[in-house]
Amino acid sequence: MPIQFRAIEVFSQSRSATSARLRASAIAVSVALCAFASSNALADDYTDVNRLLRAGQLAEASTKADQYLAGKPRDAQMRFLKGVILTEQGKPTEAITAFTKLTEDFPELPEPYNNLAVLYAGQSQFDKARAALEMAIRTNPSYATAHENLGDVYAKLASQAYSRALQLDNSNTGVQPKLGLIRELFAPGAKGQRPVAATPASTLAKAPVPPPVPTPAPAAPAVAVAAAPTPAAATAKPAPTAAAPAAASASAGSEQEVTAAVQAWANAWSAKDVKDYLAAYGKDFDAPGGRKTWEDERKKRILGKTKISVKLNNMAVSVNGNQATARFRQDYNADSLSVSSRKKLDLVKSADRWVIVKESTGA
Amino acid sequence: MLRLLLAAFCAAALATAPVHAASKKKRSVKAAKTGTALVAAGAANGYDAEARLIQVYQTIGQSRTREALLLADKLVADFPHFALAQLVHGDLLMAQSRPLKMLGDVPEATLRAAPGVLGELREESLLRMKALRETPPADMLPEQFARLSARNKHAIAIDASRARLYLFENTSSGLRMIANYYMSVGKQGIEKTIEGDLRTPLGVYFITNTLDRKNLKDFYGAGALPINYPNPYDTRRGKTGSGIWLHGTPPAQVARPPKATDGCVVLANPDLERILATVEMRTTPVVIAPSLKWVKNHQNNADLASFDAVWQQWQQAYTQGDIPRTMAFYTPDFNSYGKTLADWQGLQSAEASKAKGRAPQIKDQSALHWVESANSATMVVTFSQSTAGSKTSVTKRQYWLRSAGLTQNQWKMFFEGVIG
Repeated sequence: MPIQFRAIEVFSQSRSATSARLRASAIAVSVALCAFASSNALADDYTDVNRLLRAGQLAEASTKADQYLAGKPRDAQMRFLKGVILTEQGKPTEAITAFTKLTEDFPELPEPYNNLAVLYAGQSQFDKARAALEMAIRTNPSYATAHENLGDVYAKLASQAYSRALQLDNSNTGVQPKLGLIRELFAPGAKGQRPVAATPASTLAKAPVPPPVPTPAPAAPAVAVAAAPTPAAATAKPAPTAAAPAAASASAGSEQEVTAAVQAWANAWSAKDVKDYLAAYGKDFDAPGGRKTWEDERKKRILGKTKISVKLNNMAVSVNGNQATARFRQDYNADSLSVSSRKKLDLVKSADRWVIVKESTGA
Repeated sequence: MLRLLLAAFCAAALATAPVHAASKKKRSVKAAKTGTALVAAGAANGYDAEARLIQVYQTIGQSRTREALLLADKLVADFPHFALAQLVHGDLLMAQSRPLKMLGDVPEATLRAAPGVLGELREESLLRMKALRETPPADMLPEQFARLSARNKHAIAIDASRARLYLFENTSSGLRMIANYYMSVGKQGIEKTIEGDLRTPLGVYFITNTLDRKNLKDFYGAGALPINYPNPYDTRRGKTGSGIWLHGTPPAQVARPPKATDGCVVLANPDLERILATVEMRTTPVVIAPSLKWVKNHQNNADLASFDAVWQQWQQAYTQGDIPRTMAFYTPDFNSYGKTLADWQGLQSAEASKAKGRAPQIKDQSALHWVESANSATMVVTFSQSTAGSKTSVTKRQYWLRSAGLTQNQWKMFFEGVIG
């Protein structure tokens, strides 16, 4: 079974060109949203390289990227683009080196891990692909694209294991997987931009891409449902009607609690208060690699920074009983790294306290 | 979602890992204890791969699937040709992306490419678990080892029903189990009768020699230990065939399915290597039983007591050079490598007159007991014999039969000969 990797796509322009490229390589397209808070001047350089890359002018794109990197050798976004260019140029070894170095310099970013996985999978090194994707997820819990890719890699590895278990000739089942790649790390000037809707490649090919759906404040429908009594209930029993507003206000109160809990989490992170930061995660939080490992890693990452700033924007909270979801844009600045991304936190109320049980980046 | 998948998988694992299935309702302390004991038993076997496989099963049983996957990762990295490990590894990987229906949830297309193999793997898994769960008590021994002498430094007992080989060391304080291993028998099972029947013989045997891997095809793995099938009892009953060995596995297999051989007993290479390095040729008995009967005290063996009394009488007559009285213990169809009872009587008489009154010395007697049925049993006796004043000694072996139909339930000797 061929693996179809989901590419992360964050193009802010030339969507039709993107679609054509993706269609040509039959890649299922998912979403991502990491935006670099960068100046417009820099954004132009990224845009230029991106344009050349998309136009297939790989040599020119490479030259321009190299010129830029000569002046700013650590720049994550341009190095990422360079990695994509190398991949496009059919230089997997160099591309692997480029992405590997990115993971070393910016271990917070899941995208380089994801692309490393794609390159490894392209060489049928599925164990390495798995390791890279697991790192992507450890770096960024519940990172949707990496999860999807990892699911495919697990399935491929499982099928290899089964073939070995049944002592079958593995070469017969080794269909070369079709690959996709995260094409761009950060969309220039995309700060505050809405995520692009996830659309399979086949849909892209047949139908025009639906415009990005502006996410409504998710809290509103949840409250409305809680507040609106069913007509049947209204006629049969007047009592629930009276109860409904109470439920609505209780729900509104919960939203405030959730918002406060999420803000406290961001504040603890900014203050490098590891204890409070970790305490924001409930015991049911599915920590990648096990709670202890994950906590140690988070601690190392947080304390390893001189300065951290986490700002939350456009927060939308929905509450359903003891469960809540908070969606927001997270502007993360730490030392030389600055990432703006969409984030979703699933929370539950446990012992009168809202705690995080799931953290997702992206869609 | 993930949690749900794990729950489904654990249910599947439990079905094939009965350690926990048994105490599913009231798991916790009891199940945990059993688990630890099993791992310890596995580790003590020295067969790393099996102990680690069991550990993976147990970790799954404790719902620590992620941890189980990491253990399985390492296991298959170390033993890529361990099919059962690959199977559980496949399951643990698959469980990451979809719920599992059962242990060994192999896709249909893969199953069709290797018909029957999954069933064999499941059986192997069950047998390994069973053997480790039902370990024999420390103070008990296979009933067949009625009496071992100081010359028998080691002994091997095989329980076909458990696909298990038990290795014993004969210490000054008695026989002690030092290891037990998974092993495979014939494609058609046990009770070999004729050549080419793809069955493993049942009975009391001895290791005749050792074959180095250098002189063998890769197919035999770490080496081979041929046994003396057909023995005089087999020959007497018209059994045919030859070349029954204990041997290792080919390079591409850590273990073979429970029923896989042409009649040989096959062990994993590290296990066979341990046996090769441990046991002695000729003096190491190999008992192969459909299922071993473990007993605490051989003094309670009535068959052995009745045999001992007869053997004392035979020994007395023989050492006194009383040929007529001696020959009364032999069956009419006695046969020693082609020599008839009449031939044997002549040889005995010649030997007695040559000894000129010097009585033969008999020592280091061992007796292996094989109960064929309620009405029939044999005793395989080995001893060393020397003549007073002589420095040389020979090792002799006798086969005695007690049969309701053939010997009126009296112990009679149907074979005697010098070995080694």
